[in-house]
Amino acid sequence: MELLTDWVEWLPRLLSGLWVSVQVTVLALVIGIPIGFVLAFMSSARNAIVRWLTIIVVEVGRGMPALVMLQMVYFGLPEAGVVLDSFAATVIALGLTTSAYTSEIIRAGLRAVPEGELEAADALGLKRGDIVRFILIPQGFRIALPTLMGFAILILQVSSLAFTLGLPELLSQAYSIGASTFEYLEVLTLAGILYLVITVPGGWLVENFEKRLSKHLA
Amino acid sequence: MTDPQPKAGETILRLNDIRKVYGDHVALGGVSLDVKRGEVVAIIGPSGSGKSTLLRCVNQLEVPDSGTLEVLGSNIDFAGRVSSADLLALRRKVGMVFQSFNLFPHMNVLRNVSFPQERVLGRSREEADKVSRDLLERVGLANKMENFPQKCSGGQQQRVAIARALALEPQIMLFDEPTSALDPELGLEVLAVMRRLADQGMTMVVVTHEIHFAAEVADRLIVMADGAIIEEGVPSELLAAPKTARAKQFLSAITDR
Ligand SMILES: Nc1ncnc2c1ncn2[C@@H]1O[C@H](COP(=O)(O)OP(=O)(O)OP(=O)(O)O)[C@@H](O)[C@H]1O
Ligand SMILES: [Mg+2]
Repeated sequence: MELLTDWVEWLPRLLSGLWVSVQVTVLALVIGIPIGFVLAFMSSARNAIVRWLTIIVVEVGRGMPALVMLQMVYFGLPEAGVVLDSFAATVIALGLTTSAYTSEIIRAGLRAVPEGELEAADALGLKRGDIVRFILIPQGFRIALPTLMGFAILILQVSSLAFTLGLPELLSQAYSIGASTFEYLEVLTLAGILYLVITVPGGWLVENFEKRLSKHLA
Repeated sequence: MTDPQPKAGETILRLNDIRKVYGDHVALGGVSLDVKRGEVVAIIGPSGSGKSTLLRCVNQLEVPDSGTLEVLGSNIDFAGRVSSADLLALRRKVGMVFQSFNLFPHMNVLRNVSFPQERVLGRSREEADKVSRDLLERVGLANKMENFPQKCSGGQQQRVAIARALALEPQIMLFDEPTSALDPELGLEVLAVMRRLADQGMTMVVVTHEIHFAAEVADRLIVMADGAIIEEGVPSELLAAPKTARAKQFLSAITDR
């Protein structure tokens, strides 16, 4: 009973933390996925210099732990004269991580578009640009979508690392409640449940979507 | 399905000494072929003999290493580079149907047929849909227009693919084993559509294993082996009495089955 009353008392703060987590996640995706799209195309550019630079950027972005990315943007950029608050720094850092990862996901999706469809489009006399716009991108994106959704769920979890920047997201809120009540286990459990409330149905959604897609493409 | 073709008999497709090499494998070793307007040419031959490669060279899905191609009066010499404008112009005149249908799975049947018309011919959506409906009705798919390709049988998908190509008003149609992926029964639906197309005077080059179709519909039968045309002639005559041992061997292999 005591646990429940505690939880009820903590819930508003944790929910406001969750709201911050969701905000930074959504913004990171909104910024990162379009960049990922561009990187996906650049990484198969005809120009070898463009292609290799892109591949290097993507590999560095994927190789760098999200925590390091966060720290570099928040603590490193001020040395270069760019001072960001923790919210903006988190969005930018997670956005960069997102762009690097999603470029690979999108690239794989584009590559999975059946060669025969592209040949048929060529044989019909469609222009290269039209094929990319109306066949390759819609098809590749559909193929990539379940993986992208899975990645979005992952980024929500990764956003908890922003507690190291003092961003008042879900985990920070749980910590500070823990620090004042010493009931770490209880409050962290509730925080964990709140993450699950989003990630588990999200996972179901992805699974459902994958099934529908594979049926559709079969 | 298309307007009656004027000036029957003139040569509208001419391949001259087309060569295509993959690595050190000669897929086409200098093939020449003339096709007259309204003619139906069937190509048969063992697997790997270069039949698909030949068709693909006609509409430039494959660029030959050398040789020349003449389609309805325009010339392409593969010694030089082919401009993309020439390429698109060529493909507008030539339609192609593949063994694996290759419909766009994210578009319904009607869109599959209308979308290329809008982008390639600049037709409005209404115009394009009108043409598509008309064609789809003629290939017996009036009640499938809103379906997505995955919901159609193979035979239906192939008929959609034919309608899609015809909607762009090609002057020459290429078919690469259009019924090989189909059960015999479904193949018949497709062959019936092709037969009608031939009767209407469409110029057609058909790679096929359907000997009956070749015998009944084709004006000329070509046998390929090892990247070359080894024999050609009137289908009934060639089938009854092949001259080369290679053709004899191939024909007995497929008719014995
Ligand atoms: N893209 C390619 N790369 C390398 N070799 C190829 C390629 N395309 C075709 N070939 C080779 O060229 C030869 C001719 O192939 P092609 O597909 O034209 O034969 P085909 O007569 O159509 O055979 P099938 O009846 O099996 O369809 C084959 O030996 C094939 O392996
Ligand atoms: Mg073939």
